[in-house]
Amino acid sequence: MNKLKKVTKELAKLGLGGDVQASEFRKSVRLTGHVGSWDEKVAAGFAAANRGYKGVLNDITVEGVGEEKIYRYDPGDRDLEGRYFDVLIIGGGIIGCATARELARYDISIAILEKEEDLAMQTSSRNDGMIHPGFAAHPGSKKAHYNILGNRMYTKWAEELGFELKRPGSLVLFPSRLEKYLVPLMKMRARKNGVDGHYRYISRKKVFEMEPNVTEDQQGAFFLPSAGIISPYKATIAMAENALQNGADVFLNCFVESFEMDGGRIASVRIGRGTVKCGAVINCAGNFADIIAELADDRFFSLHGRKGTECILDRNTGLTQHSILSMPRLIQRKSKTKGGGVVPCIEGNILLGPTAEEQPWREDFSTDRGHFQELLQKLDLNTKLSGSSVITYFSGIRPASWEEDFIIEPSERVANLVHGAAIQSPGVASAPAIAVDLAKMTVDILSKDKTVEEKTGFNPRRTVSYHQIETVEERREMVGKNPLYGNIICRCETISEQEIRDVLRGPIPVNSLDGVKRRIRAGAGRCHGGFCTPKIMEIISDELGIPMVEITRKGDSSPVLSGEAK
Amino acid sequence: MKNVYDVIVIGAGPAGMASALTAREKGSSVLIIEREDRPGGILNQCIHDGFGLVKFNEKLTGPEYADRYVRWIDEAGIEILTSTFLLELIKDEDEFRMKLVSAEKGVFSLRGKAVVVSTGCRERSDRQIFIHGDRPAGIFTAGQAQAFINRMGYMPGRRAVILGSGDIGLIMARRLTLEGAEVEGVYEIQSRPSGLQRNISQCLNDFSIPLHLGRTVSRVIGKGRIEAVEVVSVDERMNPVKGTEAIVPCDCLILSVGLIPEIDILKDLPVVKDGKTGGIVTDDRMESPQVPGLFSCGNAHHVYDLVDYVSESGEIAGSAASEFAREAAI
Repeated sequence: MNKLKKVTKELAKLGLGGDVQASEFRKSVRLTGHVGSWDEKVAAGFAAANRGYKGVLNDITVEGVGEEKIYRYDPGDRDLEGRYFDVLIIGGGIIGCATARELARYDISIAILEKEEDLAMQTSSRNDGMIHPGFAAHPGSKKAHYNILGNRMYTKWAEELGFELKRPGSLVLFPSRLEKYLVPLMKMRARKNGVDGHYRYISRKKVFEMEPNVTEDQQGAFFLPSAGIISPYKATIAMAENALQNGADVFLNCFVESFEMDGGRIASVRIGRGTVKCGAVINCAGNFADIIAELADDRFFSLHGRKGTECILDRNTGLTQHSILSMPRLIQRKSKTKGGGVVPCIEGNILLGPTAEEQPWREDFSTDRGHFQELLQKLDLNTKLSGSSVITYFSGIRPASWEEDFIIEPSERVANLVHGAAIQSPGVASAPAIAVDLAKMTVDILSKDKTVEEKTGFNPRRTVSYHQIETVEERREMVGKNPLYGNIICRCETISEQEIRDVLRGPIPVNSLDGVKRRIRAGAGRCHGGFCTPKIMEIISDELGIPMVEITRKGDSSPVLSGEAK
Repeated sequence: MKNVYDVIVIGAGPAGMASALTAREKGSSVLIIEREDRPGGILNQCIHDGFGLVKFNEKLTGPEYADRYVRWIDEAGIEILTSTFLLELIKDEDEFRMKLVSAEKGVFSLRGKAVVVSTGCRERSDRQIFIHGDRPAGIFTAGQAQAFINRMGYMPGRRAVILGSGDIGLIMARRLTLEGAEVEGVYEIQSRPSGLQRNISQCLNDFSIPLHLGRTVSRVIGKGRIEAVEVVSVDERMNPVKGTEAIVPCDCLILSVGLIPEIDILKDLPVVKDGKTGGIVTDDRMESPQVPGLFSCGNAHHVYDLVDYVSESGEIAGSAASEFAREAAI
């Protein structure tokens, strides 16, 4: 049967035959029409996916869902006007930053353009930081391929870049005895994907030896020892800092407005801060990657935002659990999420989540009661956890394609454009491997016009200018060097004035409360900044010479104070 | 400064100062540790009056109340280490050992026969009462708003919604009004206010600030800075009642939704936490039955409504700590 007919038939099966039309656009299938609910649009998108087209352009409009105003802030300068970079990376998330680091091995000029006030502001910070073992992804998918390689690479990357990586392993718990019979299938899948480590069935008795606080009703588990955890935003920032060290640039508050095309190439990128000429462009724009593709007239996919809410428990909960616990929804074939779990974070907190909710917005990070309640059900896996330990919760949006796989390829239409798009879970786990390929594709493009050589003197090791003091002994040594390491500002996380000042002097400009919090945990503890916020603001004000009333929580539109008192 | 004391008091707020004074009067050697740069604790930012009615039969401001104790501490020759942070507290056989840090002294150690924990409390945050919606700037705890206005001279907002009718929230409603801000109203999820009646009358009624009982903030709206909140009525089981939602525009949300004893420093000791108060279980001399020689008082023990009683709890703890130290010496 003809592919288009097949799509049309599938739409009719959903009862959308009258409302939604399918047509061909270049190599993709395009859906148009008007439906009553977001769920219908989502159903139509999935129905059209994987029918032999390159991608799905889901342009169906939905009753009551209007345009979304995308956040942008222009600092007002034209500092970038007329500048040239061999490579412009659009998006300072983990994919963009990892790719910048890989490209920094070559003797070329590189700039990351990020629309927010800091790196890793969206999907890259709003996730559970899990380095998945590569078991859940479908065999043969790009997700499976990059996940396995990325997982393996993290050991070296963490060591070189100086961010923390732990591999506590993941326990897929079996709530009934039936799951045990699926173990051969699980092993087969792990083998097919190439999962590292001695993955194996764990008996009920052994589960309780490993995790004494797990609820009694577990009947066994499948253990995947290569599962790891990192802080995804610290890792992203570390990648960018190492790229910077090796000559790359990062420009914040750079919203890409349009491209100037010239003979099938992007000649320059227009942003609020000027028009920047370029040799090649990499599209790592996360939830906006389909918009960026369209700006280059290369739209062959569309994204749908799947929101995930996560919840963080007090640091003292970390001692109650060693491995990552997940639920067996993992093995459901049709599942669009791995079902989330209970994750011991790198900082010692326990994280619950994420949920999965199809919704229309690209950057609506609000949370709601219903999804939060759903999240709290995960508390049931560990008997020592309770809702009273909740410190915070947040949500992020996964940029999913309708095919539910990564898009990592050079553009077929634009000679100097590379896409690293639709990077949802396991995106963090896959990032180093994706970066290697995106860098290779980009170097291939540049090599057509000039010789691109690896530079001598590339330093893969990040030299750290700031970090959080962890032990009393280290503090003793640091206070000896500078007394301000002894002036404790954040009491919940024990962070001193000088640790905060060091962050503010870091290579990527930081001037907001969240920017500080993302690098060291000042204000991230149980009091939630109740005591230290005024003090941190005074330090920012003093260190950077910004008046108190201009200090923001997370960039220009979020001043903390409204002015001076009488 | 020595490095062994009979009684070491952690926190120089009203509870800690009272316990130090009493222990000193009873003949113990006493040291107070304070993480801020001056003694007084949270009283330093409570510039309203009403303190000391029970204890001194006088109406004092917070700083005035604190100053009395600071003077007595000084007269008694009690040492206070300010800007000093306690990193670690353990009990080793018969004595307590602490590691501390300050810019001046670096990391150093102290030993004490008895320890009084008077570390006060912290405020419950928006996350701990499960507020949903966006996460913009402009959400403050009442104490934080108080610190900004009273200690630093900055306004947290010009159009405020106050959630919770705790005393600090009520006092901040008045304070903001006096500073020229508009207070849209105080919302209290319970059917009755939690603050003192005198504060309802002096801080709300006198300024015509509406108090909405059985109503709470269900959602925060605003991407960068807060723009509005959604408020809703709740039923007797505290669940939101559909159809009672209303949007209240504001540029700040101030939370006065409860205080929690701040006792994280006790995490390495086998103390038992009291599920109801959030403090540790003690006997009537304020001593932990599990950790002899460890005393707790003031808001670190449980949250008091009047500072006068906080001081009183400090006296009990100080006296008992002194006795414990003396017996330990024999």
